[in-house]
Amino acid sequence: MDLAVEVKGLRKTFVAGILRKRRNEALRDVTLRIPVGSFWGIIGPNGAGKTTLLSILANLLSPDEGEVYVLGKQLPSCSTEILERINLSSGNANFLWSLSVRENLEYYAMLYGISGRRRHLKVEELLEMFGIRDVAKVRFDELSTGTKQKLSLAKALVNDPALLFLDEPTVGLDPDAAHRIREAIRHLHRERGTTIVMTTHNMHEAESLCEHITFMKDGAVVACGRPEDLKRELHLGDTIRISFRGTLTAPFLDTMKGVLHFQLDDSSCRVVVDDHRKRLPQILDYFLAQKAYIYDLHIEESDLEDVFMAFTK
Amino acid sequence: MKMYLWHLQSEITKTRAFVFKNWIMTKRNVFTLFEILFWPVVGFLSVGLLAEFASLGEGMRAFILVGIVSMSAVQVCQLDVAYVLLYDIWSKSIKHGFVAPVGLRHLLLGSLTVGIARGITVFVILVGASRWIFGFDFTVPGPGPICLFLSGLFLSAAMVGMLVCILVLLFGHRAEVAAWSLVSLMLLLCGIYYPISILPDWVVAVSQLIPLTYFLEYIRCFYGFDPTFSHVLYKGYAMVAAYLFLETVLMKGAIRHARRTGMLLKLSE
Repeated sequence: MDLAVEVKGLRKTFVAGILRKRRNEALRDVTLRIPVGSFWGIIGPNGAGKTTLLSILANLLSPDEGEVYVLGKQLPSCSTEILERINLSSGNANFLWSLSVRENLEYYAMLYGISGRRRHLKVEELLEMFGIRDVAKVRFDELSTGTKQKLSLAKALVNDPALLFLDEPTVGLDPDAAHRIREAIRHLHRERGTTIVMTTHNMHEAESLCEHITFMKDGAVVACGRPEDLKRELHLGDTIRISFRGTLTAPFLDTMKGVLHFQLDDSSCRVVVDDHRKRLPQILDYFLAQKAYIYDLHIEESDLEDVFMAFTK
Repeated sequence: MKMYLWHLQSEITKTRAFVFKNWIMTKRNVFTLFEILFWPVVGFLSVGLLAEFASLGEGMRAFILVGIVSMSAVQVCQLDVAYVLLYDIWSKSIKHGFVAPVGLRHLLLGSLTVGIARGITVFVILVGASRWIFGFDFTVPGPGPICLFLSGLFLSAAMVGMLVCILVLLFGHRAEVAAWSLVSLMLLLCGIYYPISILPDWVVAVSQLIPLTYFLEYIRCFYGFDPTFSHVLYKGYAMVAAYLFLETVLMKGAIRHARRTGMLLKLSE
């Protein structure tokens, strides 16, 4: 398996204060392997070390200890070769305020040594891809937040990177703009096969985009895997809420296989099961046997937010 | 051969990126136009008129006008070199520049190119004003010595601009003020308005460590002022070359330091 990122025993401590006494251990022995072609999410609460990790991978920060390999080459010794093939887009996008959208793209394309007609075609392609051609001549400081973010993503593709780092790409965007950005990212991964490593606070975003998740807390990797595997690992179930008329006599649901939790009120109950698709028929059979009439039923599947809550407890 | 040409083109394009950035920022921001047209002209007129008021002789007036014209050209040129990082810091986009595969050479050559263009503009404006307003002919030394003098000035400016970049990478926003204050310090030490011989010995020792001192002495020779030191041009060039080399090493170290302390990220926030 080819690895896009391989990190071994990474440690980073920030030191602050005049006497350098304030120490913040941002990363503690982080080890991570991200295969080529994957869409990898790094999630965790504030201060978990997500951006620190991403910044080390993008050569913006150097670790105190540990080894970092990006696209098979070691950082920092092969930094120029690596930088040619990676790029970064971050939330709260900021670029040179006086340059227009087109000029910003031209500038960053030039930084990658792209010249002449090739650069012109690349800039035109990106303006088209992100639907920002109509604001191509607008200065950066006059753009809306959503358009700034689109420009940030477009800038990150000027060198056709094999590996793309996205640091909270939809932070601060309204739901519509965030949705469009997510669609653009999804398209990018699907159509170009670009390996994407993304940090986010938005669990629904992580769940809808990422194939694999690394959960970080207090600078350490707490869990790593596919979202559904993480849920299973944490025994996070689906919640079935049933409102009914009648009475339940036998306490069967307490002991039924796959039921993680059962709570009964006068005319409603809440059942937490490992997998609602497997357990619902049995539950419905039970209500039928009890001659209880179900008039309302809701199913809430567990999501990454539950995983997040479980890990941050 | 094809590979070499491709590599050369890539190098030129990366350098052009910084020319492009500084040039557009200069065109679109009023404060940069003020740096070329307003401050140098105001400074020049103030000093020139003071010389008139003090009824200074032709030689003394030449001494002072050479100083103010040179100072203004150095100030504008060094600002451009410093701006190559400061623009990115002010726009909070510095991390994008450091994620790209560019080297120090691209950054410095690109920004210095715009700096030289702006410095020459200021120089030409002030030389014209010297002749027109105060009847002082700056072109007496001839094109060769003036070119050698200007090269020395612009290399000194690159040296100051690089020092600003190093300080900003080490100390962050707190060091931005160096972009405007370092040249003022040189004004005091290099003999802009007075010969360094009037300074205390220990200050003269410091002045001797600044290449601009020698370039000013060189150009003033043509207006009848005997230099305090021998081989001023050689010393000036040798010194500026040594400092630029040293600063290149220091700047690489400053970038490594900024990566270690997280300064690149702090400056992007």
